[in-house]
Amino acid sequence: MRRDVFQAIADPTRRQIIHLVAHQTLTQQAVAEHFEISRPAISKHIKILTECGLITIRQQGRERYCEAKLQQLNEVSDWIEQYRKFWTSKLDALEIFLANEPKKKTIKPINKTKRK
Amino acid sequence: MKQESFVIERTYQAPIEKVWLAISDKDQMKKWYFDLDEFKPEVGFEFQFTAGDQEKSYVHLCKITEVVAGKKLTYSWRYEGYPGNSFVTFELFQEGDKTRLKLTHAGLETFPTGNPAFAKESFARGWNEIIGTSLKKYVE
Repeated sequence: MRRDVFQAIADPTRRQIIHLVAHQTLTQQAVAEHFEISRPAISKHIKILTECGLITIRQQGRERYCEAKLQQLNEVSDWIEQYRKFWTSKLDALEIFLANEPKKKTIKPINKTKRK
Repeated sequence: MKQESFVIERTYQAPIEKVWLAISDKDQMKKWYFDLDEFKPEVGFEFQFTAGDQEKSYVHLCKITEVVAGKKLTYSWRYEGYPGNSFVTFELFQEGDKTRLKLTHAGLETFPTGNPAFAKESFARGWNEIIGTSLKKYVE
């Protein structure tokens, strides 16, 4: 099975786990308490995260601490960053296009749509 | 399964009909997006364009998978000769006399990052080229 940082973040629960431990080291138990799904299910996600190199487990006494490896996450943010730049530029270009496009006719909604 | 998505939103000072035309009319698309031989906002319609730099360019292959006329447009987005497939969705929301555009690019994790040709640097160079030259020409 594929084990890389992209596999790690493909699952919403795993993304949440990463967010949880990104700023503080937590015990596996503390992580599990944030979720409604079973503890074994959380353990499995944590195991995948360790295999993907995003989390390391440190045994201290009876507790197992989850530590985030943020350097790995940079690989993702760098990757996503390329697309962010690309789409930002494209949508900027669209804005300029819309602003410069001569108005053929003004379409003004008579009633403003109100959300309920 | 939830895919790794990139989402960006913009609100434009333009009616929704106008924004829809800008993203779905071939002649308008070429002024800010890509110059396509043909484009029809219909499910199943396929189009392609080449983008990149002097060293390497990629043939982008796209196929429309969902259309809600005037509101939503989704197409697949992959690179010829490389594994992986992603999906680009444009969604439009009327907000008074403005239009909010939500762009979602899903499935980016399916592209191979290990391939040297796909290294992020070459991507960045390719896009900088598109954005730095062709876009500038249009804007200035």
